[in-house]
Amino acid sequence: MKHWLEGVSQLFLIAFRNLLTHSRRSLLLGGAIAGVTTLLVFLGCLSSGVKATMIESATTVATGHLNIGGFYKVTAGQSAPLVTDYKKIEEIIAKTLPDLDYLTARGRGWARLVSATDSTQVGIAGVDIAHEPRLPKVIKMEEGKLEDLAKPGSILLFESLAQKLKVKTGDSLVFSVLTDRGVNNTVDVRVCGVAKDMGMMTSFNVFIPQETLNQLYQINDSATGAILVYLKNMNHIPRDMDLLRKALTGAGYTVMDREADKVFWQKFDEVNREEWTGQKLDITTWEDEISWAMWGLKGVDGLSYLLTTILLVIIAVGIMNTLWIAIRERTREIGTLRAIGMRRRAVLTMFVMEAFCLGAMGTATGALLGSLLAVILDTLHFPMPPGAEMFLMSTTFHFALDPIRILGGASIITLCCTLVSLIPSFKAARMRPITAMSRVG
Amino acid sequence: MPQHAEKTAIVSIQKVVKEYHLDKVVVPALRGVSLTVRQGDFLSIVGPSGSGKTTLLNLIGCVDTATRGTVMVDGQDTKGLNDRQLTDLRLHTLGFIFQSFNLVPVLSVFQNVEFPLLLQRKFTAAERAQRVDELLKKVGLDKHTQHRPSELSGGQRQRVAIARALVTRPKIVLADEPTANLDSVTGENIIDLMKEMNEEEKTTFIFSTHDAKVMSHANSVIRLADGKIAAGKAAAGRH
Ligand SMILES: Nc1ncnc2c1ncn2[C@@H]1O[C@H](COP(=O)(O)OP(=O)(O)O)[C@@H](O)[C@H]1O
Ligand SMILES: [Mg+2]
Repeated sequence: MKHWLEGVSQLFLIAFRNLLTHSRRSLLLGGAIAGVTTLLVFLGCLSSGVKATMIESATTVATGHLNIGGFYKVTAGQSAPLVTDYKKIEEIIAKTLPDLDYLTARGRGWARLVSATDSTQVGIAGVDIAHEPRLPKVIKMEEGKLEDLAKPGSILLFESLAQKLKVKTGDSLVFSVLTDRGVNNTVDVRVCGVAKDMGMMTSFNVFIPQETLNQLYQINDSATGAILVYLKNMNHIPRDMDLLRKALTGAGYTVMDREADKVFWQKFDEVNREEWTGQKLDITTWEDEISWAMWGLKGVDGLSYLLTTILLVIIAVGIMNTLWIAIRERTREIGTLRAIGMRRRAVLTMFVMEAFCLGAMGTATGALLGSLLAVILDTLHFPMPPGAEMFLMSTTFHFALDPIRILGGASIITLCCTLVSLIPSFKAARMRPITAMSRVG
Repeated sequence: MPQHAEKTAIVSIQKVVKEYHLDKVVVPALRGVSLTVRQGDFLSIVGPSGSGKTTLLNLIGCVDTATRGTVMVDGQDTKGLNDRQLTDLRLHTLGFIFQSFNLVPVLSVFQNVEFPLLLQRKFTAAERAQRVDELLKKVGLDKHTQHRPSELSGGQRQRVAIARALVTRPKIVLADEPTANLDSVTGENIIDLMKEMNEEEKTTFIFSTHDAKVMSHANSVIRLADGKIAAGKAAAGRH
């Protein structure tokens, strides 16, 4: 083992010094590898940043870490996103989850919001602000007071929506909705405050008191839209989901089968088509509830993988080409080493090592540059162009360093460089020792 | 063993024919060569250009195989060995000195000489250093251990090559025109050095040359012409 290591480290030295000897060639190729890595890491940081923004705004506006929602059907073809008699369920949750941080009930709605000049469809969260410890921590007020959301008939909206509807604190708005009974119902509300935007989701979601929402939909106060569960540790989500499912089923509730990556409003059609009536519960994760907004993120990821793949192919050709040249130049050296007793496998190792060194140094540089670029741009808070806002669900560019993603990307690129070098290296290993011999004279 | 050493055949070649195929033309390089080399010999192969010297050395050096006939090196028929076995035979039994030195340009003098020992994987770093230093002292390069080959003169490079060929203490050292790229004085010094090693270590040397001055140092000479051994062995006699 020790002898093997000494041998390999000498091969490494040869490989490394050969890279240094041909500095121009190495710089060019290593630079290209670094460039691709920079791009991949940079886009990865963008994706991580967007995701972080999205999680923050989603877990504020739309979802808990886990949600116990569900559907209530009076007739087979008509469902409402309701959990009836929710206090009992809250008790079960509190008893079941060991690492529960807190839970809160929220009404869910989707209605037309009309101002003096404009109108738009918005998602509504009906909240009991006294039982929402997270909201005061994450929502930053532009004007007005968050606590005023305790008053019935108040509404909190976010900057971009307030601009769109041209309203300020104190202005009146009207909600208009078609109830289950097929009646058009309206409720007047007054703006109690305007909060700073938090990603795209806040531009079409508003908060009103739970009782105002119940009034709008004409439902009784023992019902809510969903119970949002916040955990102390997000890693326990899968385990806690199972615990809740068992506990609720055990208590006699019907719990719907899990449908990953579907938000509750994507389930209406299917629920309406089913025959049952009464209450069914549905346990979802935050990821399920915001998956519909993830397409932009998937787009960024897809784009960065596509770009990286194309560039990697180009680099692969470059590496092969460079190694061909190196092998041609060093034919005599390879022959000599074979003649004095070097095995084929060692020749292979020597050239693969050269590509590995180049790849590792290139990707390390690239990962560093990409991360640096991301960190610098993150502090500048660039606003997103209007088209990108909707696509990335964010209003400013936010970058986050995800070490696993950066290391993973760099390793894959290094691996590709190394793998592709196997082809010319095998050829070098098959070279005959006689090529070392001089045929002159 | 010491008494019989002189009689032991270390290389034995029987009716060897080597043909090269160029497109459809067959080029005969060796046309029935038989030869025995004894352990401790200092043997010179001479002959005009194209007479088959390199070809013969390549066959003995296990870097090429004969078209017909047998080549026995250190008691092994090279025809029956696979690439791995031939490689190991070269590593442990043979040493090579090349006409154009063929050192690894990116390694230092010390590292070049040490390299075959690393390939053998049986010596500690201290053992390797001791052997390398000892040899570099013998070839007069103990002041140049950290130099790169490109910083040395031709004669110095060939000394490094000699040290590299001898560092594994091989039974046979093969040298194809080791002096062809050197001026005559340097060339003679190189041959003197080889001769010294031959006498001290009892290493068998087989080298080719077409320089009359160089061949005069040999204690036996084989003359090749047109792929055949010309005159009988002109033994220079042992002292
Ligand atoms: N690889 C080869 N392919 C074809 N012909 C070769 C090859 N190597 C040597 N020859 C031919 O074989 C003959 C002997 O060559 P060589 O052994 O190199 O002679 P020397 O070393 O005495 O000059 C020459 O005619 C040469 O042209
Ligand atoms: Mg020759």
